[in-house]
Amino acid sequence: MTIAAGIDVGSGAIKVSIYETGPDGAETRHALVAERIRRRDPTVVTRESWELALKHAGMVAGDVAYVATTGDGENVPWATGHFYGMTTHARGALHLDPTARAVLDVGSLHARAMKMDPRSKVLKYRMTSQCASGTGQFVENIARYLGVPAEDVGARSLQATEPEMVSSICAVLAETDVINMVSRGIDTNDILKGIHMSMSLRFAKLLRSVGADGVVLITGGQSRDVGLLATLREALAKKAKNLQVEVRNHEQGIYAGAIGAALWGAWRHDYLARKEAS
Amino acid sequence: MSDPASALIDRCEAIVNDLDHTSVADWKRQSDGTERKAVGFLPVYVPREVIHAAGFLPVGVVGGGDALEIIRGDAYFQSYICHLPRSIIEMGLGGKLDALDGMIFPSTCDVIRNLSGMWQLLFPDKWAWYLDVPQNLSPRLGGRFYAHDLQLMAKELEGLGGLEVTPERLRGSIEVYDVHRGITEDVFALRREAPEKVPTWELYMLIRAGLILPVEDHSELMVEYLESASKRTAKRRDNPRVIVAGAFCEQPPMGLIRTLERAGCYIVEDDFSLGQRWLREPLRITDEDEPFGALAKAFLEHSAQGATRFHPDGEPKGEELVRQVRECEAEGVILASPSFCDPSLLDRPMITAALDREGIPWTGFKYAENTGQFQGIREQAGTFSDSIRLWSEAS
Repeated sequence: MTIAAGIDVGSGAIKVSIYETGPDGAETRHALVAERIRRRDPTVVTRESWELALKHAGMVAGDVAYVATTGDGENVPWATGHFYGMTTHARGALHLDPTARAVLDVGSLHARAMKMDPRSKVLKYRMTSQCASGTGQFVENIARYLGVPAEDVGARSLQATEPEMVSSICAVLAETDVINMVSRGIDTNDILKGIHMSMSLRFAKLLRSVGADGVVLITGGQSRDVGLLATLREALAKKAKNLQVEVRNHEQGIYAGAIGAALWGAWRHDYLARKEAS
Repeated sequence: MSDPASALIDRCEAIVNDLDHTSVADWKRQSDGTERKAVGFLPVYVPREVIHAAGFLPVGVVGGGDALEIIRGDAYFQSYICHLPRSIIEMGLGGKLDALDGMIFPSTCDVIRNLSGMWQLLFPDKWAWYLDVPQNLSPRLGGRFYAHDLQLMAKELEGLGGLEVTPERLRGSIEVYDVHRGITEDVFALRREAPEKVPTWELYMLIRAGLILPVEDHSELMVEYLESASKRTAKRRDNPRVIVAGAFCEQPPMGLIRTLERAGCYIVEDDFSLGQRWLREPLRITDEDEPFGALAKAFLEHSAQGATRFHPDGEPKGEELVRQVRECEAEGVILASPSFCDPSLLDRPMITAALDREGIPWTGFKYAENTGQFQGIREQAGTFSDSIRLWSEAS
């Protein structure tokens, strides 16, 4: 049995997971922690999240054989190794949904689509460009301007009746679109769905360009947004009819990077132990 | 507790980042009011021993990196050549090389050759020398030619106000550089053994300072660094060991080296400083050895097999890199070439063929000295690191 931890240092939140893997392939979760950074020092939030995860798992640091970081966590001093975000999101997605063959990771500052094989090896990927339009931070900013709690955005989007699209190219233009809509008296729910529709159009293009096939799991900070899930399904049905995909989300999709890091960390620990023994 | 090695690197960083070469100007001024001379040289390799024996300070000039905006330099060169010559011209026209009393241009490539001509047109009052290095590796031909070439250069340095480069004086300089070569290899050996103690960005800064500082001072600095760094208690991470190759002339920005390390790679060998490690063995010269001949012999027999050195037909290129991979226990190679660098990029197909034959994973990209966006390189290095650790065995 190997206990490993994954620390996903994102732009908006720190996610920590602690897992135990067995020789039979069993993967047992001991802790999942997510903490928003909220303008605090990320190194402090990382340390606090790590300690909280250990507390939830009833462990001390010495119990963990391998601490793997991902995201922007290259400099976490107590880490054993670091894995790239794509690698960990793919592995985490496979753990959460073993039928997944593609991943759409929607984080605070960017989104990326990955096609993977049944072992979670990334075969192809595409990322959004540098503009933050159509990413988590953008949605949260707009929700704040509109006075909508972030956790309500998805449900409100589902209630829209006459949505209007916003710019999917530029966050500044999109914000201008939203201001115009507000001044025109457009319903908040319709504005939110319009944002989701713009994002989904962009994501559908990403998924099409990687040749996604089969189950697509949404991971990252926006994975629980049911409004985004619904508009993405609509966009794929309209704009990518030739893609045979089924988009899903998962309650723990936000932890996919941290879970993947922990599971790869455990694999590396066992591999290195076998190598040393042989 | 402060880390003495880090403090030394801070010192090196200040010297390297001073594009006005203030430390060179300071070295030139003597307490009796007289002034010594300094001579610049371009990558890849120039035998600094000869400059040292003439009583001059050899100063490596590798461009302004990402700290210099090129405005005038672009006017002198086509868009389809590397960044180095335009950077050198910009430095020259901006007065940043005024501390140098002359410049040596080695026969690295056509671009450096053209730069030497451009330099002589722009700065006719500055001493300039084009150093031909042999492409015929026979001692009777290339060896004699090169020894003669060095003697001519020594005479020129004397004419510039230098000391007469007598055999005794040159032997003394060779011994000084032998010491320097030994210490340099000791530092590189420590990085190979314990890359967590010697980050490559630090080693790079340390070695770059050696292009500017007097060799004796730089040897002392490296000894101090070696002592401090070896005592570090840094935790070794589960990072793959990689070699970076192809960056031997135009230098990558520091951000690129840091990006490779942050992406989870331990760089255990590189050719950033190939010119400073060109002669792979100490010359161990005796009083009976003719020193110009000894330098030529070392060039023919013990120099690095870089892309700028003639490679006889029949010997596959890339074999030295493969040997380095084995010696350093590296798990992969990152081929980093300056954009439009003919020597580096023309060698790449042969090098990758050699790596493929041996099943050594590699990845490659291009950069310029002023590259400012590293996200793409971070992704490439990060996924390369993951592929080595996760898929080379599992796939």
